[in-house]
Order: sequence, then C-alpha cells, then structure tokens
Amino acid sequence: MTGPDLSPRGASRRGVSPGAAEVSLAAPQPERVVIDDLLRSVARGDDAAFSRLYDLIAPRVFGLARRVLRDPAQAEEMAQEVLVEVWRTAARFDSERGSGLSWVLTIAHRRSVDRVRSEQASADRMQRVAAASMHVPYDEVADQVGTRLERQQVRRCMEGLTALQREAITLAYYGGHTYREVATLLDAALPTVKTRMRDGLIRLRDCLSVEVAR
Amino acid sequence: MTRPDIHALCGAYAVDAVDDLERAAFDRHLADCEACAAEVAEYRETATRLAEGTWAVPPPRMREQVLTRAAATPQVSAADRRRSAPSPVTRWRRIAVAAAAVGVLGLGAAATSYAALEQRLDAERIAMAAAQQRRDVMTAPDAALRAGDLAGGGRVTVVVSDLEDNGVVILNDAPPPGPDRVYQFWLVPDDGGSPVSAGLLRADQNGAIELIQGVSRGVVFAVSLEPAGGSPLPSTTPLVGVSLV
Repeated sequence: MTGPDLSPRGASRRGVSPGAAEVSLAAPQPERVVIDDLLRSVARGDDAAFSRLYDLIAPRVFGLARRVLRDPAQAEEMAQEVLVEVWRTAARFDSERGSGLSWVLTIAHRRSVDRVRSEQASADRMQRVAAASMHVPYDEVADQVGTRLERQQVRRCMEGLTALQREAITLAYYGGHTYREVATLLDAALPTVKTRMRDGLIRLRDCLSVEVAR
Repeated sequence: MTRPDIHALCGAYAVDAVDDLERAAFDRHLADCEACAAEVAEYRETATRLAEGTWAVPPPRMREQVLTRAAATPQVSAADRRRSAPSPVTRWRRIAVAAAAVGVLGLGAAATSYAALEQRLDAERIAMAAAQQRRDVMTAPDAALRAGDLAGGGRVTVVVSDLEDNGVVILNDAPPPGPDRVYQFWLVPDDGGSPVSAGLLRADQNGAIELIQGVSRGVVFAVSLEPAGGSPLPSTTPLVGVSLV
C-alpha cells in the first residue's frame, strides 16, 4: 500500500527509519502519528487516506460505541455516523490540541453518551446500567487485554487508583453516566465525585505518561 | 451552599460526565481559560487510552457503507476551522444547547459566573426533585386523603403516604395572612411532645402545594398564623387541625 504521507513529518520519519512500519505495529505511539498524518490528508479530500484511516480507527470507534451503548446494532449505526463525521470535519482536527486518535474518540464517546442518555428514561437506565456497570467494571476491559503492552499498562494504572477514583471513572467513561448519577450510584457526595474523577485522571495521566504535543 | 472551583469539573467534562447545560457553561468557560483547555486535552488523551481496551472488529459490511457515505458527503473547509470552537462536537449541537441555556436562564445569564449558573441549575433540580416527590406521594398505593376547613376561611387537604413517609399539603382559598404574618404548617406528635414546624409560606402567600417530609413524626397536621419569619413553636391558636391517622 502506498502511504498518503505527504507531510514533512511523515516523510522525515520514513526517511530516517526504514523500519518505521514494524515499529508502528509494536508500539502505539507511531500508530498515533500515522493517524494524525492520515487525518491531515483526509482534510484535503484524500479518499485513499480515508480508507486507510478507516482500518485504523473503525475498530476503536465501533468498540467504544459498543461498550457505551451496549448494543452491537446501535454501535454499528453510531460508528458509521462518527466515521462519516470524521471525514466531513477532518479539517477541524488541530494537532496542537491533542492527537488525532483522541479527537476521533472524543467525538465517538460524546455521541455515544448523548445517544444513551437521550433514548432511555433515566430511572430505567440508572437501574439497568448500574447493575451492568457494577458487575462488569474495568475488569471486562482488562480481560480482553491479553497481549498488547499498552492495555496491560492501562490495567496496571487503573489498579493504581483508589477504588472510588476507579469506579467513578469507569461508570462515567464506560457507562456514560453523569457525575451526578455516579454520585448516586456510589452513594458519594457530589464534590467528592467531581474531585475523584479529576484526580483519578491526573493519576492515570501520570502513570500512562500521557502528553499533549504542543 | 459552597461552590467548588470550576476546575473540579474539568475531569467530569473531559469524560462527558456533565449534562448539556453544564457542558454549554463549561464550553464557554474553556474559551476564556487556556489552562483549562490544556488540562482537558490531557484528560481526553488519557481517556483515549482507556478506550484502547474496547477495541472490537466491526461487521465487514460497515467499511463499504462508510466509504460510500463519505464519498457522497461534502467536507467542511480548512478555513472553517478558524471559526470553529475547540470542541469537536458538531456546531449545531453546541449552538442549540447554548441557545437553550440562554433561553432558560435569560440573556443576562451569559455574563453571570459559572457558580451562579450552577447554583441556578441546582435550584431547578431541587424543584424538579420536589415535584417528583410530590407525585410519588400522590400516586403511592397507600396514599390517604384528609381535609379540613380553616377558621377564618380556606381549606387544607393533606395527602399522606406512610410508605413514602411524606405528605403533600394543598392550601386553597385562605385569606391573605395580613401584614407581618405568615401561614406556618405543623406536625403534632402523638406522645404529647411539642409541635414540629413542617414548613413556612412566604409573607404574601395564601395558597400552596407543599411537600411535607417525615409525616410519621405527627398524628395531627395543623396550620397557624405566625409572625413574619415563622415561630419555633406555634404562638397562636391553630386555624385547623387535620388528623393524619
């Protein structure tokens, strides 16, 4: 496959390291760089770049939507919507504000959360998802992990959180709950939940060495 | 009510754990707070790592469908990015939400602080929660209706539910309380103890639908006229006493 990397960044990486393709299979970081480059090409209307981008992000968008919506059919519909939105608005991606993957998954997460909130009566959902979320906390994610180094690292870092931090982030991110719902589900005070979400994310950020390139 | 620093909401916002009104408020705040924008970006990057574990192979047919739909969808231009806000959520939605927030709160609210906005939202939520509790009493399977006429005019109806341990008081057609006077509600316990205040109306208020919590504390519901500000114990003869048992 011929790469659509026309940007100086992509070109120089290839020039310097002929083994870049192998590296990108093993480590997550180069794959992210590839996604950023592809998004820039997509922004210029490059449909070949979009089909390559699809292969990299579709499983992630679909997986996240399925996790939040808990319904494969709805997740498929949502993933299609998000991926077409990525094509449509690729020009709005700004690498100074974060990685392309983060940009894509932020759209996917927000849309999935909006969908799950709008279509279910909150009381009903609280009950159903509470039961589900409580019984399948992040372990479900961790169990799918297996080989990939990064997933093991996420799991290790999640284990490094306090129980309240972990549960608050899990219920919010994977369950699509507002922090108010999380407070109710965990029987914790609102300010506590807000704070735990934030300091949990800080701890995860540091543990995962997350950086936003500037 | 104490208001935590808005920064505390950064985490919840980054993982979409806020409601639409809070999101609109925080979006506005982000436009003026470079530090917050950087912080949110880091949390989103972190959340992206959480998403890695959800990776799942989509149905093969999806690829063709997405590529076909994309081919038929015009793209926004790069120039549009200059005008667009940092958030990747679609424009119409943010605008709609912002418009809704302004509609609810009035144009002046655009200039009010986040804390004031959140306080307002809390007040609305409390009002809605109270309305829900009133509905819960009215529709409880053991809801019982009692009523009595006030000396001097007006009628009070009390719906009580032991299951909910709440009651709803409806005061109708009572005369204005008069200057420096207010209507006050009481629950009178059956053990000979002192009446417990169950609510106070405003100075000019002569009708109400109010939730009374903890009805099991009393066997009689009473209404009296008290000096403005209310009294710790009834200071006048009750206008009505309604037996709750």
